[in-house]
Amino acid sequence: MKKSLFSKGLLLVLTAFLVVGAISGAAVAEEKVIKIGTLFPLTGPVALAGQRCRAAVETAAEVINNAHPELQVPLAAQEGVLDGYKFVLVHADHQGKPDVAKSEAERLFDQEKVWGIIGCYNSAATKPASFVAELKQRVFMCGCSSSGALTERDFKYFFRMAPTDKTESLEFVEFIEWANEHKGSDIKTVGLIYENTEFGKHAAEEGRMAAEAGGFKVVADVAFNPGATNLNSEVQTLKAANPDAVFGACLGGDYTLWVRTMKQMDWLPKVALNYCTGYQDPIIVGQLGDDANYFMGGTGYAPEFAELMPAVAAVEEIYKTKTDPSVPFDSDSIQEAVALLVLAQAIEKSGSLDPTVVAETLHANEWESPLSMGGKVAFAPGGQNIKAMSMLTQLQGGEYKRIYPVDLADTEPVIPMVPWKDR
Amino acid sequence: MATFLQVAFDGLLNGLLYALVAAGLSLIWGVMDVINFAHGEFLMIAMYFSYWLGFIWKIDPIISSVAGGAFVFIVGALTYRLVIRRTIGKSAMSALLATFGLSMLIKNICLNRFSPNFRLLQDTLLGGKTFNLAGIIIPVPQLVIGLVALALLFVVYRLVKKTRLGWAIQATAMDKEAAELMGINTERIYLLVFGLGGACVGIAGGLLPSYLAVHPEVGALFSLIAFVCVAMGGFGSIPGALLASLLIGLVEAFAGFYIAPVFKYVAVFGLYLVVVMVRPRGLFGW
Repeated sequence: MKKSLFSKGLLLVLTAFLVVGAISGAAVAEEKVIKIGTLFPLTGPVALAGQRCRAAVETAAEVINNAHPELQVPLAAQEGVLDGYKFVLVHADHQGKPDVAKSEAERLFDQEKVWGIIGCYNSAATKPASFVAELKQRVFMCGCSSSGALTERDFKYFFRMAPTDKTESLEFVEFIEWANEHKGSDIKTVGLIYENTEFGKHAAEEGRMAAEAGGFKVVADVAFNPGATNLNSEVQTLKAANPDAVFGACLGGDYTLWVRTMKQMDWLPKVALNYCTGYQDPIIVGQLGDDANYFMGGTGYAPEFAELMPAVAAVEEIYKTKTDPSVPFDSDSIQEAVALLVLAQAIEKSGSLDPTVVAETLHANEWESPLSMGGKVAFAPGGQNIKAMSMLTQLQGGEYKRIYPVDLADTEPVIPMVPWKDR
Repeated sequence: MATFLQVAFDGLLNGLLYALVAAGLSLIWGVMDVINFAHGEFLMIAMYFSYWLGFIWKIDPIISSVAGGAFVFIVGALTYRLVIRRTIGKSAMSALLATFGLSMLIKNICLNRFSPNFRLLQDTLLGGKTFNLAGIIIPVPQLVIGLVALALLFVVYRLVKKTRLGWAIQATAMDKEAAELMGINTERIYLLVFGLGGACVGIAGGLLPSYLAVHPEVGALFSLIAFVCVAMGGFGSIPGALLASLLIGLVEAFAGFYIAPVFKYVAVFGLYLVVVMVRPRGLFGW
């Protein structure tokens, strides 16, 4: 009798387990999620930029996943894509190291089972991580890594939103030609200063080629190790060569150290043009004060562009709640938001979650992108966004003023830069 | 010639800064045979301490460097009490791994609390000040750090060589058990040494926000160079650490300017390898 009761009880418990298991299994099967890995430098020398990029992707996910009819962004009015699929983000940190980026990309795909990856800010990290994605035939969306080499590999699953160093270098040269013609700037020589990384070296290479093609003589080529304790030799080398224009590729704390060392050595070129670097970081104005002024750079977005990109402001309010301290988008982080917004449109349009179909759809269409300066995104073979635009700005009175192209400018550039002693 | 002198002067000033950072490490290493992997993080927390005092209460780094030294003295003493003491008498690797863990802990706490944001103090008493001496531009913040380094190294050297406490430190470094038999409280000596080592790097860190941005990674390269200075100068030798630091500063500056800026650390670590190969105990080591 006792045995029979025990058997019945056991049967009941097992049945209950099976029923609960079946219900929860069905619930998991019905869970409509698209797992996207974000891979940025969340620690290490450029962690601040990485954390902002992550916040930008989170902002885009919030816009897509929830109904935001007030936003003028494609798919914002509905909830999710493909009739209810929502994006779930899995964050990973590559610390600014290419080897870590590769292993984290493998982990995201193999263990976290992500559908695709968005990243990686540092070109040096994007290179191996996107290689992993290509091997696995998974989509890799790259917001702001600027090394031109990334889109010269003929990858099928790699897509980059931002302009490349090549585009910016050509723009720099075009600007100094314009300044020579219209401002009598008499710029003949160029100096290069850059961090000794994939990004810096590639930017300098493009800068050199563009300058020489434009008939300018490159008189200084200064590479430095990021995170240096001082930049004295670097600035001393520039000062000794005394180029009329300097193209700079310095990130984060290195940028402030470079500017302060130039002040200490009482030297400035006529113009200092920066790639997507520390110059674009909205906090440098607060950190450097008046010393930040009169430097120039390629800028894909700044709050001062509001009249050119009216849809950004409302999305930016969401982004500000995700950053600490609360900051507006910058040229780099906004591209990461664009990456997810464009991917969401492609998934919706293709009606499929097959990475190959989505990648083909991304290539085949032109996408609405109100968070991009050109308003559109379209990809060339290799994955470069051929609609990517940036303009030149100059910091004047602590604000990013639009100075070139002339038809989009709101301010006259100050050339030459105001000497340190006159500030 | 003016350029040559400028480069040399910049190198000397950087060397003095390295000496100030290395002095504490040398003391700890020489006396306790402990490699403090968290030395760079001690520098970093002193920089944050000075930065926040300057940012919130507008206290200039010159003053907060003293408070920074005292603060990191306490951090150093606590590190000894809570971490290092448990590794004494065990394999050298256990102290090394313990301080490595501590460095990760400090770095990640700062990353979490202060974000990776780089922070720079505005309008400090020394910030951005320079003067011209016969065509050489002298940066005042670095000059002051150099002078403080010289004064502090002199004080530490005198303390170790000329005082009863210093003799006790030397005795403990030479033979702990014999020192205890002579009535020296070696436990207290170790505590003081770790605190003093922290105070030296704390003063350096307190002064740095006058011209250098603070962020959680700022101590990494300083700490690496400090290790090289100490090993090159000879373990436990303050004059050795000073000489090695000056050499490293000069080599870094000259290689950076006359060969290529990207080559400067190659030259520094190359010099270190040569010295260690020719004289493994360092320039002034015993």
